[in-house]
Amino acid sequence: MKSLDLRGTGTVFRYTVQQHYKNRSVLIFLLLLFLGALAVFPIRALIGGQSVTETKIKQVYFRNETGFVIEAEDIKKDAVFAGVEIIDTKDDDAELAKTIASEENAAASVMTIDREKMCFDIRTNYSAASEIGNAEAEALNQVLRQALHQALLRAQSVTAEQETLLHSAVYSQVAKVSDYLRDAEETGTDTHVFANLVYCYLIILLNTLAMSYVFQQCMEEKVSKLVESLLVSVSPTALILGKLLAVTLFIFFGLGLVVLGLFISFQIGSQMTDPQILTDMIKGVIQVDFSALHISGGTIALFLLCILLAYAIAASFSAIVGSCCSRTEDTQHASLAVVLFIMIGYLVGTIVPMFENDAAYNIVSLFPLTSIFSAFPNYVCGKITVGVFTVGLLIQAATAYFLIKTAGRVYRMMIFYRSAFPKPKQVIRMLREERAAAKYAAAGKEDPHGK
Amino acid sequence: MGFSVRELFKKYGDKVVVDHLSFEMNEPGVYALLGTNGAGKTTSIRMILNMLAKDGGTVEWNGAPLSLKTCNVGYLAEERGLYPKNTLMDQLMYFASLRGLSRSEAKERIRYWAERLEATEYLYPPQTGAKAPKPKKADELSKGNQQKIQFMLALLSDPELLILDEPLSGLDPVNTDVFKSIIHEEIGKGKYLIMSSHQMATIEEFCTDLTILSRSKTVLQGNLAEIKKSYGRINLFVKAEQELRPMIERAGITVLSSVGFSYQCRVTGEEQANALLRSLVSQGVTLIAFELREPSLHEIFVEKVGEVHEES
Repeated sequence: MKSLDLRGTGTVFRYTVQQHYKNRSVLIFLLLLFLGALAVFPIRALIGGQSVTETKIKQVYFRNETGFVIEAEDIKKDAVFAGVEIIDTKDDDAELAKTIASEENAAASVMTIDREKMCFDIRTNYSAASEIGNAEAEALNQVLRQALHQALLRAQSVTAEQETLLHSAVYSQVAKVSDYLRDAEETGTDTHVFANLVYCYLIILLNTLAMSYVFQQCMEEKVSKLVESLLVSVSPTALILGKLLAVTLFIFFGLGLVVLGLFISFQIGSQMTDPQILTDMIKGVIQVDFSALHISGGTIALFLLCILLAYAIAASFSAIVGSCCSRTEDTQHASLAVVLFIMIGYLVGTIVPMFENDAAYNIVSLFPLTSIFSAFPNYVCGKITVGVFTVGLLIQAATAYFLIKTAGRVYRMMIFYRSAFPKPKQVIRMLREERAAAKYAAAGKEDPHGK
Repeated sequence: MGFSVRELFKKYGDKVVVDHLSFEMNEPGVYALLGTNGAGKTTSIRMILNMLAKDGGTVEWNGAPLSLKTCNVGYLAEERGLYPKNTLMDQLMYFASLRGLSRSEAKERIRYWAERLEATEYLYPPQTGAKAPKPKKADELSKGNQQKIQFMLALLSDPELLILDEPLSGLDPVNTDVFKSIIHEEIGKGKYLIMSSHQMATIEEFCTDLTILSRSKTVLQGNLAEIKKSYGRINLFVKAEQELRPMIERAGITVLSSVGFSYQCRVTGEEQANALLRSLVSQGVTLIAFELREPSLHEIFVEKVGEVHEES
């Protein structure tokens, strides 16, 4: 029954997992999680991401009143409208309405200049009796808009390269020459900030999800009054370790389910719309230019390792705090403590990239509370060296080991604790007393403080 | 060989809760750990089982420190419960697995104890209609029936050392008899039992040796029969068909209580009781009962604990 007796960990793990997945609410939660992920891309495709790959439009009656020359070929450049007959017309709106009503699947597009607002106006109409859909008319308008844009540039004799430069941003930079040379290897600040933000979101999501489950596991035996019956069969360390491993499996299984759901969702969404639209959507949400990151074959393995270390640190801290809970009400105090712990790291992790300071990057990548949020994005963005990253990971691993061990000790120490939620000072004092007593007991002596 | 506790000590801050408790069991039997509420019984048991860190002292089983590795312990705790939402069978199989039993062995033992404790209907619910019976969960059982399952958990591993903390509290008379018969069986199998209870009659029925704790200290310890013998036969019960109080008091005997013509008295020894008997017979009193006996455990307990309270 010594603290490092881990016999029974596997049995506790299996039983906890088994009972967890027998719980109907857990199954419903996982199912909803999976279905939610599965629905993301098809929904995106349905609510406006649909691309038009073919059209029912046979003729387009085109009246151009802008004065800028738009040829039929400019419209036919688009693959969808390549086979469509483009007919230039001077007919007024009433005549056009009659024409498209009499033709099968004909549309009328009118391009004008609104002198009051000083803007262009492109309007496409189609007969309600035709097979033409709104999406096709929208697509036609989009093509006309592109054609007008090209016509405007042609009128100014602007080349394609000049056009790109015309729309490009202006970057201003002041730096020491050494920094300038190194910056060539680094990712831009915007990408770094967003990469950091996305990674921090992931860590915080994982850990807040784990927190409530860890609390529940730490309190379960106390609340059900089973702890004494169990402890003649398994050590407290093995008991809490088995339970924490079960929570870990559950959390990562849930995460895996979301990833799988999103993957399948993307495949389904790609069948419904242009995959580029979905890719653009992801880019729009994450706002990270992955091509600017330093990603190699081992990056995914490193990513998983970093996620696991971050989880181990936060979950074991949650276990320490959760072990101090005797009643359900105590979880409020416990949640506050863990959220504070996580939020400090999160805030520092998200703010530091904005400072563009090397010393700050190194510090946050080494200090375990912040490095769980910052070390990985700093590394893939080239803001820290491999050495700093490795040392940061080693410190994280050592911290995780220390916290897991402490969680076992606190769980053992607080297992019969039935008072108000203790203050950190109180827990530290109790741990010291327990360690001193254990030393004396191991030496076959009596703790002199007791006499 | 056997079980020994030496100089067990525990304090919380400055408050000593177990003050150098020592006792041993050299042969199988029942050892009683008695005491008032808060005397340190449960804390001692938790330290014996290594659930709570000791501030001093040793606990040995067959000469080696008692641990999960060295001793197969069964424990029915005073604070007992079950996972409320898990099925009873799952919980029993879980505990059996933790004790290293194979599935078939566990099923066999669960079946045996379910029958022995008359709990088969909860563990093997009968089939009603076409639907398969739904396994029972702990929160569907009464407190007494939950206690049966908890007792099963303690017995599943066929423990060498069985620690029972208030084993009969909250049970109805029928189940009390079932539990008692099982305890007798375990004693008969040569097991070591440590029992803690406030029901002195229960303790007297089973135990051979005991320790009485009061306010963390040992106030009385030894073999129950010898302890009683050391007190001598000083309790006298007299029952007659007439008023006897004046005659009893004339003989210098203290009447502790009386109901009708029944008297509980305290004598200094057998001679004083015999003198009273001779006197009553010579006066032509018809006696229905005249019993001279040793003090009960209850009386010893109250006296010893009372002494400590007076001293403090």
